[in-house]
Amino acid sequence: MLDIRSARKVFYKGQADEKVALDGLSLSLATGDFGIVIGSNGAGKSSMLNAISGALVLDSGKILINGADVTAMPVHKRATRLARVFQDPMRGTAASMTVAENMLLADLRSRKRTLRQGLNAARLASYKERLSILGLGLENRLDTRVDLLSGGQRQSLSLIMAVGGSPALLLLDEHTAALDPRTAEIVMQATVRAVNALKLTTLMVTHNMQHAVDYGSRVIMLDAGRVLLEVTGEEKARVTVIDLIGHFSIKTDRMLLAS
Amino acid sequence: MGFIQDVLTSFVAIMPVTLAQSLILAFVVLGIMIPFRMLNFPDLTSEGAFPLGGCVCGVLLAAGVSPLTCIVVAFAAGFAAGCCTAFIHLRFRIHTLLAGILMMTMLYSINLRIMGKSNLSVFGSPTVFDWVPFARPGFPASKIVVAGLLALIVFAALYMFFRTEKGTAVRAVGANPDMAEAQGINVWAATIGGVGLASAFSASSGALMVQSQGFADVNMGLGILINGLAALMIGEAVVGKQTVWRQLLAPFAGAIIYYQLVSFCLAAGMPPPDLKLATGLFVLAMLALPSLKRGRGSAPAREAIRE
Repeated sequence: MLDIRSARKVFYKGQADEKVALDGLSLSLATGDFGIVIGSNGAGKSSMLNAISGALVLDSGKILINGADVTAMPVHKRATRLARVFQDPMRGTAASMTVAENMLLADLRSRKRTLRQGLNAARLASYKERLSILGLGLENRLDTRVDLLSGGQRQSLSLIMAVGGSPALLLLDEHTAALDPRTAEIVMQATVRAVNALKLTTLMVTHNMQHAVDYGSRVIMLDAGRVLLEVTGEEKARVTVIDLIGHFSIKTDRMLLAS
Repeated sequence: MGFIQDVLTSFVAIMPVTLAQSLILAFVVLGIMIPFRMLNFPDLTSEGAFPLGGCVCGVLLAAGVSPLTCIVVAFAAGFAAGCCTAFIHLRFRIHTLLAGILMMTMLYSINLRIMGKSNLSVFGSPTVFDWVPFARPGFPASKIVVAGLLALIVFAALYMFFRTEKGTAVRAVGANPDMAEAQGINVWAATIGGVGLASAFSASSGALMVQSQGFADVNMGLGILINGLAALMIGEAVVGKQTVWRQLLAPFAGAIIYYQLVSFCLAAGMPPPDLKLATGLFVLAMLALPSLKRGRGSAPAREAIRE
């Protein structure tokens, strides 16, 4: 469960180029909810994700994950509760380390790291099994350095790393945007399968309206640092790409009138 | 023919002495490698940590403290110095190289304060090298045994550590700090601990050197960094750096080869003042090699380092 309560963040406060990134944003996601976040550039999607993960410190407001207040927690402490897949495949993996070592790091995300041997036979077997789900052959390349993988393979690895250990919250930051259409589809299907199978509470940012229509249990549209629109339940089942794009244009009209 | 024979004779004659020296200095090379390769944190602290360890050891030896305790205290002092460098970088977002320069400059004054004068003779004080049975104290054999044994222990311990869960986490901080943080790893703790440990090795090397040569000098660190880098480059060229095993072996192998090479050059009649120029050119060549291989056509791919 995720609860964001009137989150506010202003960049360059008091300067000429002051920018309100989050303007009293409130959002609540029930356990098992799959929220799709859409919105134009600069609407606050990335700021919201960064605020949840802890990369961005809020000026005011609260963030709760499964009822626990994480507002003051640094990134590495929040990591025990949430996992994130970035848009850039390079950011989510350690390039100079092997596939197995990357899996190990993710495996230990919410555990205490000990002085026992990291990679043992039992772990390697379980990584092999988890990677075979993708059907990309990664299970046979456990000793390959990650920088030798393609972008799609790296992103798929990031996804498997993120969903392992069933995090309380999964953040997907346009995680298929940098991939070719076919690979994007593979990663997206794997995502949906994992989210459904593990009943993960998920927040996915996307610019792909078709994804917003096809997947998820609710659509959240952000604008100017607050929630402009939420589509859930019956309405979500009936919503079309045209409907969603329509809301973008309303905003654009308003912007035109205001200027 | 006579010339070559002379060169070889004098080179072979000092080989054991050079080997003993290189095994002691291998710990500085290790202290340069750990931040540079494992943490992606190019660190210059060793230039100050090496004499720091020497000065601490010298003063304590002169005060009659046991030689092993001297090394332990020098290790701790070096650890503190390395922690400071890492903290300066992390807290104030100062470039790692500048943080290192600041630290080694400040350490020079601290070293002088510790000793109270610029050099101190501890000749005749007991050393860890006296404890080797069957070897006459003061001879290279005992130094080779002690330093070699220490190197073996440290190598084995580090190799085991970097394969543990904690060790893998430390390497992740060097590979991708953002990713490491997102995987719940405390980047501050890993960086401070890692750089601290590296400087602790440099300081221990200084302490061993003081016991080996019988005196401490505030200037004993001068140029140690460039020598260490050259040794590391040779080591990596010879044993490679693809795996943790090779990367850890590189400083030790490199130190042994490099100092024999230097001693050979000196035996062959190279004027000692030219040594640093030669070393510098060698390091430059080793660092420039990848970009020369790539040719002029492609964009200059710079090694990504932490800023």
